[in-house]
Amino acid sequence: MAKHKTPLLDQLESGPWPSFVSDIKQEADNRAKNPKGLTHQVPVDCPEDLLGVLELSYTEKETHWKHGGIVGVFGYGGGVIGRYCDQPEKFPGVAHFHTMRVAQPSGKYYNTKFLRDLCDIWDLRGSGLTNMHGSTGDIVLLGTQTPQLEEIFFELTHNMNVDLGGSGSNLRTPAACLGMSRCEYACYNTQDMCYQLTMDFQDELHRPAFPYKFKFKFDGCPNGCVCAMARSDFAVVGTWKDDIKIDQEKVKAYAGGAIKPNAGAHSGRDWGKFDLQAEVVDRCPSHCMKWDGSKLSIKTADCVRCMHCINTMPQALRIGDERGASILVGAKAPVVDGAQMGSLLVPFVRCEHPYDEVKDVIDNIWNWWMAEGKNRERVGETMKRLSFQKLLEVTNTPPSPCHIKEPRSNPYIFFKQEEVPGGWSRDLAAYRSRHQR
Amino acid sequence: MDRNDKGFIATGYNPQKPMENRISDIGPHKYDTYFPPVIKKNFGKWLYHEILEPGILMHVAEGGDKVYTVRVGGTRTMSISHIRELCDIADKHCGGFLRWTTRNNIEFMVTDEGAAKALRDDLNGRKFPGGSFKFPVGGTGAGISNMVHTQGWVHCHTPATDASGPVKCVMDAVFDEFKSMRMPAPVRIALACCINMCGAVHCSDIGLVGIHRKPPMVDHEWADKLCEIPLAVAACPTAAVRPTQVEYKGAKVKSVGIKEDRCMYCGNCYTMCPALPISDGEGDGIAIMVGGKVSNRISFPKFSKVVVGYIPNEPPRWPTLTKTVKKIVEVYAANARKYERLGDWAERIGWETFFKLTGLEFTHHLIDDFRDPAYYTWRQSTQFKF
Amino acid sequence: MPEDKDIIIEYLKSKESTKSKHYFKDFTDLFPDKGPREVKKLLTQLVQEEILEFWSSGSTTMYGLKGSGKQAGAEGES
Repeated sequence: MAKHKTPLLDQLESGPWPSFVSDIKQEADNRAKNPKGLTHQVPVDCPEDLLGVLELSYTEKETHWKHGGIVGVFGYGGGVIGRYCDQPEKFPGVAHFHTMRVAQPSGKYYNTKFLRDLCDIWDLRGSGLTNMHGSTGDIVLLGTQTPQLEEIFFELTHNMNVDLGGSGSNLRTPAACLGMSRCEYACYNTQDMCYQLTMDFQDELHRPAFPYKFKFKFDGCPNGCVCAMARSDFAVVGTWKDDIKIDQEKVKAYAGGAIKPNAGAHSGRDWGKFDLQAEVVDRCPSHCMKWDGSKLSIKTADCVRCMHCINTMPQALRIGDERGASILVGAKAPVVDGAQMGSLLVPFVRCEHPYDEVKDVIDNIWNWWMAEGKNRERVGETMKRLSFQKLLEVTNTPPSPCHIKEPRSNPYIFFKQEEVPGGWSRDLAAYRSRHQR
Repeated sequence: MDRNDKGFIATGYNPQKPMENRISDIGPHKYDTYFPPVIKKNFGKWLYHEILEPGILMHVAEGGDKVYTVRVGGTRTMSISHIRELCDIADKHCGGFLRWTTRNNIEFMVTDEGAAKALRDDLNGRKFPGGSFKFPVGGTGAGISNMVHTQGWVHCHTPATDASGPVKCVMDAVFDEFKSMRMPAPVRIALACCINMCGAVHCSDIGLVGIHRKPPMVDHEWADKLCEIPLAVAACPTAAVRPTQVEYKGAKVKSVGIKEDRCMYCGNCYTMCPALPISDGEGDGIAIMVGGKVSNRISFPKFSKVVVGYIPNEPPRWPTLTKTVKKIVEVYAANARKYERLGDWAERIGWETFFKLTGLEFTHHLIDDFRDPAYYTWRQSTQFKF
Repeated sequence: MPEDKDIIIEYLKSKESTKSKHYFKDFTDLFPDKGPREVKKLLTQLVQEEILEFWSSGSTTMYGLKGSGKQAGAEGES
């Protein structure tokens, strides 16, 4: 028998998409039955009370959560988000309901032992509810009480050999696409770079000393499956320099209809016969391709590596061999001054373990941003305030036309003193000898 | 583990000596610890892939090995009972391995097409007692994949809407498109329950964003008791919050004042100070943004643009929201060219035509008036459509 | 080194009546001759010595003297 009546939430149990309400109810039932005979360390009925408080929100159309300043376990400045219910008497099971972020393996591959071990900890010491995963990529354990935080951390580190993720003004838990593990487009080992940099920057992840949050994301190719360019302050996006590799026989097979275009991604509708000229060559944004009916040619110097032709004919075209990545800096969501996309900083960087070239760029950016960034200012905003030129300067990056969409349309150039012959110390007396007052 | 008389089970952590026996800074598990054998063997050697049917991918490696991936939609908010069932399935079919995608989908991998189909049928056959699928197979190619979203009323303190609920309603409404691949291009839908967008939706084909429309209230009785006023002041990104003294029940009390026309309803001050509540049943709702993308394919990545300024919260099923999303999807699907993302289509036909075709009302709320970037969205040309 | 830590503690005490939590940058301003990473080491030591503690809004993090401030208690949790 449910603890709270939830007539509104019950209406979210029908319909085909998996119902989170049904799932929370299932957890409530399983905790009540307690087949393992656990001494639950937080109220056994907290899933019931979560449904109760959510039903109240559905009735009033207002949230019932308050923020708390709890940050983490001892010595860490992130990894835990404090949450309190503003109706604790009605819903004592969720009166204190803190979140813990657990570091996910990059690419999010698991075995069932890892997941079951984690579930066992969370069964005993938490609500039994999670997010798989949070927006940044962590495993999110949803709802426990303060005395459990250190115990959970102890079990995670001692028994499962896994750490917390980040929150607050620190390096957030980095995330990568699945990369070379199962994708033919991966231009570098995204998972390894993500793992290596996460390990190398543990101090920055756990002990906040930045003006604001800082995110790394690693995409293996310009398709951008982890949205690095849109969602991370420091985006590493795979690319290549040499020719796209062409298998002309396979191109002909696509042209003749023997292979489904776009890896079958459009097979749900009859789009008519595949038209290589119209669908690939004419859609190339830099017009670098030619198709004469039997041979496809690509002028590499004009190719901007947008991936369209490769996506459309993956059996015929492959990424080049001189592989690495582009680094784009400064993406953020709209608050406050508007959304920003990552801006291209390093056109091409080699991505070889242990990634010293990439780490140098990061160190330079952090040294600058930690010194110059204002409180609560993302690095993208610091760039806007202090100029892209400044970012080039602190990262020792030579300016090039690939950094811009177009040159500036005003002549208000801030020249440096040393760029002008004689500098800015001028001889007034000499000037006056030529000009009267 | 020790158990004290109150039932508290201690692990060995000693609060008197927190650094004793502490393990820290160990990070995540290494990514290749949990690779299925076929993934481990063919790492970096994949040649090409094919989507065999909605929800089933086949990747082929240089040596001829094949891996079949079955993708299912997951709810981001997920119980351990559900995770344990996923583990049972992975143990039964996949040697105990599984993975999650960036968009909250779950992927199971096998090396045989027949096994993939048996797995698919097993997954599609499991339902919750209320009737919804537990593990619907789909979400691939030119269709609508799973939505990414935030916490909403389930766990957040500044949401202007719920997240899991509207997501359930929208995914119910577009479920056929999750199960098929008949869109002109992938359609990525995302929901953030307030403008802070802890789950960024600003580059989605369709981004749903919770918005508040009323500045926070000031609880003068409690402001100075609950909060440190300088912190609440510093939290405001637009300098709308300032310290002040007010008369409260005959006494002068320290509190804050809010310059209401400067407030952008972000809720940051409420985070710092619970005496500044922002949520409001009548004021809060959802804005719809469209046309963003993160891929570099054909066109540059781009931001989503607001096309509906406000839709009220209508729990539990959000009928106006779901109807509007469905309409946008249908008009896009009927009119866009193959490979054309929603934003590329809207730009090609022009926003005048976009509003005409979708029937969405164009209001002054949709014209940017926020700081410098606004100017660049106005039309500096005589080229337009009547 | 002890003097440097005292500078931090004195600063926090001097502000305690109005503000108990401070951004990282407030501390770098105390040490114009030190880089941010050096200042961070001092703060980390003070946290490990249980003199300072972190406070977080979720998106940002601040430092304060342990137990000070109006929101220091864990809302009646024991």
